[in-house]
Amino acid sequence: MAALLRGLRAGRALRGLGGAVAAPTATNPKCSSLRRGFHCAALRLQDESKPYKPPTSSSTTYHEHYQAHSTEQDTTAASQGGAAADPAEEEASRPNTSYQDQSGEQGEEYETEEQLQARILAAALEFVPQHGWSMEAIAAGAETLGLSSASTGMFYNGAGDLVLHFIAQCNSQLTEILAEQHKHVQLGQAEPKKTADFLRDAVETRLRMYIPYIETWPQAMSILLLPHNIPDSLKHLSTLVDDIWFYAGDRSTDMNWYTKRAALTGIYNTTELVMVQDSSPDFQDTWNFLDNRIQDVVNMATTAKQAQATGEAVVQGLMGAAVTLKNLTGMNQRR
Amino acid sequence: MAASVRLLVRRVTRLSHGHVTVCPSGPSGPSGRCCWAPSSCRCFSDDRNTHFGFETVPEAEKAKRVYKVFENVAQNYDVMNDAMSLGIHRLWKDTLLHVMNPQPGARLLDVAGGTGDIAFRFLEYIRSQRERQRRHVARSMQALSWKDISDVYAAREGGEDGPRESRAVVCDINKEMLKVGKQKADSMDMSAGLSWVVGDAEELPFDDEQFDIYTVAFGIRNVTHIDQALQEALRVLKPGGRFMCLEFSKVRDPVLARLYDTYSFKIIPVLGEVIAGDWKSYQYLVESIRRFPDQEEFKRMIEDTGFYCVRYHNLTGGVVALHSGYKL
Repeated sequence: MAALLRGLRAGRALRGLGGAVAAPTATNPKCSSLRRGFHCAALRLQDESKPYKPPTSSSTTYHEHYQAHSTEQDTTAASQGGAAADPAEEEASRPNTSYQDQSGEQGEEYETEEQLQARILAAALEFVPQHGWSMEAIAAGAETLGLSSASTGMFYNGAGDLVLHFIAQCNSQLTEILAEQHKHVQLGQAEPKKTADFLRDAVETRLRMYIPYIETWPQAMSILLLPHNIPDSLKHLSTLVDDIWFYAGDRSTDMNWYTKRAALTGIYNTTELVMVQDSSPDFQDTWNFLDNRIQDVVNMATTAKQAQATGEAVVQGLMGAAVTLKNLTGMNQRR
Repeated sequence: MAASVRLLVRRVTRLSHGHVTVCPSGPSGPSGRCCWAPSSCRCFSDDRNTHFGFETVPEAEKAKRVYKVFENVAQNYDVMNDAMSLGIHRLWKDTLLHVMNPQPGARLLDVAGGTGDIAFRFLEYIRSQRERQRRHVARSMQALSWKDISDVYAAREGGEDGPRESRAVVCDINKEMLKVGKQKADSMDMSAGLSWVVGDAEELPFDDEQFDIYTVAFGIRNVTHIDQALQEALRVLKPGGRFMCLEFSKVRDPVLARLYDTYSFKIIPVLGEVIAGDWKSYQYLVESIRRFPDQEEFKRMIEDTGFYCVRYHNLTGGVVALHSGYKL
């Protein structure tokens, strides 16, 4: 319980920081030619989703567009992805078209540089268990694609780029899974889950994606905490939490929106920390911890409601007692 | 003297704003004869004339004259570099290596590498990277069982000597400069992994797609046809290879530009005369710096050749620019 409160406080503090940072970057729809790069792609990915607005009724289309865009970024069949992409998106991602026309063939079947970088990072993930989250892994990934290891110089953020790419990929996978489940429920093929169960399943699914890299995950977490990576990692985290709550059916428009997300952020972060040092079979301890934390939140919500109801009942009782007293002393009579 | 210097400085500042307009010179400046072509475009390809510093010469002659210049300065090249840049050229070259961040196993081609500064730094960098990797592997091996460790030793002896060895090739058109470089390598005992090749940047004696990294440090402004040199760079690089060019460029800040011009035209040729006994060569040096395109234009030239992700960093306020592009 104390751990949860600490996590909540930390989560709220981090979210406050993220809110201050995310607002200016959300107004960056296009990138100048000098900023063509994966960071640009990551920013655009975030702009597609809605980082801090409470979800509206049109948010379904936003989410599908976000998924379509991010899955397109992450597929290895880049040429197909390029053809299937939104034409407006292609234009936006190639701001400097003049030189490409002049130089004739574009080298990678009209693939943009961001798509190539995404492919290199996807290939580099295989080498992470061996080399850790580092430039060596990216160099090894580039080599499997037939590119020289010198192309790793394109990634100014180095290991940070790799980790952020992986996180974005996990988030988009989770969104796909949640959307699938949502569709099944809508079609009546499955029962809607209770909120607590839904949250537990969503967080468990998301954390299971780390299992192949769990040995090196502490290194990745430390990379995400580097100051120049904090804005991006917070953006990913907030999008994740927002998506989970959206698919859990949250349509609140008041203070609850913030408290729910803060609670889930705290749960997610603390469970992740438990997971990296968990040695039980199939991370059973971690899932138990997760169950307990979600139960705590549910209990707190129930307790809060009960306290409010009790408070109202008590107030009404007092009012009744006061009126009775007035009657008894005869002050209530009208002369 | 003061009037002609003022004229020179004014001309130079006008040049430094990116225009290649020329104007008739006054009476003799320190460079002796300055023949200006009446319009800028005639300086280049059409009339087969090109610039040699502030002079206009036929293209065929430029290569020969550049060769003579570097033949003269070869022996004192490093000393003069230190004197003229107050040792800052070492920092520039170190920055080039840091931005390059070569991975072990990379092959470097250093064109116009002359005395081999970049190649030496490259090999040092790779060596220290290898050391770091080995230490990392050793640390991770500390918890292994005896069986695992003996397996690793067996693999290391049986198989190749770790991953591919890095190699650096220094290519220069000038035999004197290469000779000086080879002597330096021998005295520093760094000959392992180095090759010295005579070659013209516009027509490299290498097959296609041989190198991971192509660097040219303070050499490309001496090339007669810069675009041909860029084409050759594109040819010899592997897919994913990187082109990096360290070159003097335009200083943006007007105050610094004035200081820089005064230093270039008044002090450097004097240093050249005093230390190396060669005023003309260093006059050519500073003039050729002024004739080189500025950062944005050179970036455009690199992009036109077919490189992607072209970027540049300004070092020392724009005195030197580091351009980088990828063959994708």
